[in-house]
Amino acid sequence: MDPLGPLTKALQARAVRFVVIGVGGANYYALDGSSVFLTEDRDLFLPPDPENLVQCWAGCEAAGLELWSGDEPLDKPRDRWLADRVVEKRALTRATGADLKIDLTLVMAGFEFDAIWTERRIFNLDEIDIPVARLLHIVTSKHAVGRDKDRLFLATHREALQELLGREERK
Amino acid sequence: MLDEAAEQAKSIRIELDEEYLRLIARAEALPQNQSGADKTWVWRMDHAFREHYRRVKRG
Repeated sequence: MDPLGPLTKALQARAVRFVVIGVGGANYYALDGSSVFLTEDRDLFLPPDPENLVQCWAGCEAAGLELWSGDEPLDKPRDRWLADRVVEKRALTRATGADLKIDLTLVMAGFEFDAIWTERRIFNLDEIDIPVARLLHIVTSKHAVGRDKDRLFLATHREALQELLGREERK
Repeated sequence: MLDEAAEQAKSIRIELDEEYLRLIARAEALPQNQSGADKTWVWRMDHAFREHYRRVKRG
């Protein structure tokens, strides 16, 4: 099972709002294996809501993941006070486990959470419903960030879509 | 070799032009990319890649 599955269950049991973004999110729109990109991290986009973040951390712990802030374990207690500080700074926290690194981000370049949430798609993964941002939003955000790795992804992704959709047209 | 790849990456300019946006819209409109679609195969593919690269050894 995708390690994201148990985490998603734990988050949904706590009514945590989140959307999968980044390359991991774009992969769900792949047309076949040639347009699936290998990525080390998964990115979950969360609203700037401290209570949601507290529940998200609790869900990660329930799923057996360790929480980090930078290179250090996230402070304890992982309560509303800490979440308020993290949200205020829009800081990144990270959850890690065997075969899984998840960035819990409160920022997605160019977008507010509600816009992404409203237009999310729900994909099914081993019978678990996973909320994923629209491909258009993921690509637009990567373009806005514009790091080397984002540009490389966009170049390869565009080429893969051209090739695959062109092949579909010729059928 | 890595330095060369890094330089190459810097020189890549990708615009979200009409063609790219059209491709994205087409991909989003596919039946298999609608809400409710089963994407278990994506994880299986990702897992297979990871296993492959885990076994790669320096020559």
